[in-house]
Amino acid sequence: MNYFHKMKGTTKSPPRVSFSEMVWSWIGAFLGVAAVGFVHFRMVRDTDLVMIIGSFGASAILVYGAIKSPLAQPRNLLGGHVLSALIGVLSFKFFDNYIWLAAAVAVATALVVMHATRTLHPPGGATALIAVIGSQDIHNLGYFYAVAPAGAGALIMLLVALVVNNIPRKRQYPEFWL
Amino acid sequence: MILPQPREGMHTVSKNNLRDPSTLDISDNDIMEAMKEIGGYVDITPGDARQIYRLAYHHALERLLRSAKAKDVMTRNVVSVKKGTPLKDVAEVMARHGISGVPVIEEDGTVAGVISEKDFLFHLGFESARSFMDVVARCLSSAGCISICLREQTAGDIMKSPAVTVQEETTVAEIAAIFTKKKINRVPVVNPTGKLMGIVSRADIVRSSFPAISFQGTE
Repeated sequence: MNYFHKMKGTTKSPPRVSFSEMVWSWIGAFLGVAAVGFVHFRMVRDTDLVMIIGSFGASAILVYGAIKSPLAQPRNLLGGHVLSALIGVLSFKFFDNYIWLAAAVAVATALVVMHATRTLHPPGGATALIAVIGSQDIHNLGYFYAVAPAGAGALIMLLVALVVNNIPRKRQYPEFWL
Repeated sequence: MILPQPREGMHTVSKNNLRDPSTLDISDNDIMEAMKEIGGYVDITPGDARQIYRLAYHHALERLLRSAKAKDVMTRNVVSVKKGTPLKDVAEVMARHGISGVPVIEEDGTVAGVISEKDFLFHLGFESARSFMDVVARCLSSAGCISICLREQTAGDIMKSPAVTVQEETTVAEIAAIFTKKKINRVPVVNPTGKLMGIVSRADIVRSSFPAISFQGTE
């Protein structure tokens, strides 16, 4: 009975953020994704480099929309993406005959490694997953996937976050670095 | 910061009371308001925020109780009586200073015992009296009240002895535990030679535990 009782929940949703918070979140996300997108589609178009991956959409929500969250801090943003990328590539190399297994191992292991290193960053799960189920271009990158797009893309988004999130008087980023 | 108001139950600052969340309650709405004031998206539910507040509050309180010592919270100018002081004078002293108990000291300044209102009650002739109202009830239902012999007696005759005492270095947490265990309301603070240095009452402990409230109260 207690077990099912737990499913009822105990508290309520946090309050809606202010209008200005929404506006600045939009501006940050727009500029952050625009920056990695511009590098990907304009600057490295003719190379084998990849700069934008799906997980950056998720990172944008955190580093521009929930900037106080521990999950959104620089340590987590950079550490989460780079470590998860390595786990993803490793997992694909080990289990490339069983993609479903490689995918599951990649995400679950990335989660634990992020916890253990205090770099929990939810989009890291996507970064690990993409290393397994991504395109041939991604697979061709090998371990370099952890440097770019994972590390470099996260770094670009971090720079944009530092610039944009500190413009409004009431906003401040980051909460901590290490 | 909104601090909880002192309530009846808080006069005994024992370990159990510290753990009782009701003494420091803030509501989900308080948290919601605080979150709105912070402005940005705070990545925590009001329930968790409240739990953190409560746990942190306990830690702060325990740290305070552990670090504060008798010498930090005691009253130094203690009203006291001598062993040979007639009870009439003892009662007058207590009445004049508005206190419900005094330490009784020997000629050499060491603490011999403590007299409280209760000791007077018990020696009014009603050995089984449990409370002030008990005495009132008995007085109203019988002819006489005050035991004559009480008039002839001195502090040394009715005091509780030996007195429960603490040292200046005794922590407030230990004193709170003594209050609860011995069911007493004040304890004399003595130096190593047994000389009276001060007194700590339950009120002193409440004040030291909730300095912000005391401060608000005196503003």
